[in-house]
Amino acid sequence: MLKAIVRRFFGEKASAQVARQRMQVVLMHDRMDIAPDIMEALKNDIIAALSRYMELDRRTIRIDLEQGKNYTALISNVQIKRVYRHSMSS
Amino acid sequence: MAGKTIVVTSGKGGVGKTTTVANIGTVLAKKKYSVVMIDADIGLRNLDVIMGIENRIVYNLVDIIEGKCRKQQAMIRDRKLHNLFIIPAAQTREKTAVNPDQMKKLCTELAEEFDYVLIDCPAGIEQGFRNAVAGAQTAIVVTTPEVAAIRDADRVIGLLEADLLKDIYLIINRLNHRMVKKGDMMSTEDIISLLAVPLLGVIPESEEVVISTNRGTPLVHNRGSKAGMAFQQIGARLNGEDIPLNLEQKITLMDRVKRFVWS
Repeated sequence: MLKAIVRRFFGEKASAQVARQRMQVVLMHDRMDIAPDIMEALKNDIIAALSRYMELDRRTIRIDLEQGKNYTALISNVQIKRVYRHSMSS
Repeated sequence: MAGKTIVVTSGKGGVGKTTTVANIGTVLAKKKYSVVMIDADIGLRNLDVIMGIENRIVYNLVDIIEGKCRKQQAMIRDRKLHNLFIIPAAQTREKTAVNPDQMKKLCTELAEEFDYVLIDCPAGIEQGFRNAVAGAQTAIVVTTPEVAAIRDADRVIGLLEADLLKDIYLIINRLNHRMVKKGDMMSTEDIISLLAVPLLGVIPESEEVVISTNRGTPLVHNRGSKAGMAFQQIGARLNGEDIPLNLEQKITLMDRVKRFVWS
């Protein structure tokens, strides 16, 4: 009990809470460990969607999963050559 | 009518798969269903010692598959229940002695004769896992409230779903309510929200489990054991009986104070 008060006083989290937060990130990362062919398909779909609105420099396209401390993000870096005035219907 | 084939798996070793199979099998047999339990952990068999039939093994799973004996010759009848049978694993063979198609065929045949076919899966996600899962319609994933067990359980659930095995349930083993209250163990709700699989039940951490395995008599034979009660409820739920999950505990004033301190 005393230990807990001390812990709270110093702003330390309960270990179960730490475990839960760590697992949320780890499981997301594990599940995002996508097979290369699916990653390729995802990349092509993103390019196709963007290409309806803008002309892209295809050689520069990069799509990666980034693992942060409390998140997993899909980072895509695409250089735009020009933006269409109207979207091109596919 | 064909019976149900259920695999008990976990990914991580030592979380209580074999104990779960032994107890669920015993519960279902006590309900007068015919049950056969297959130890699919070839090379590291343990269901026989948990069930206390280790002295009576003549033939094993690999012998059936290789046609060295009839199925009935390898099935060992339980000491107490005449409608409960165990097919032991081979101890001196490799996991590669069996393939998934052979297991599938055996499970299908057994499901014609029995109401329930329970498969005790080895730890890991290699061929032993593939074999154990091949013949099952339903999977029970056992985990404990620890990060390593939960992570492996999540991986196994992913693999099962990729195999189009959609009927998946979760059992949380060795939950220590005192530690959960103190905020030092993930709660049932925490684990469910992480794994997102329907919960079949929670087994409290208990010394009785060790004692019953020492004796080779499944816990559910003892009346008044909390862990045994949990297994009985799990068996009943698996059998389609509507038994509510009793997750919420009485919250005392002291709990509120503690929760304030730890939150």
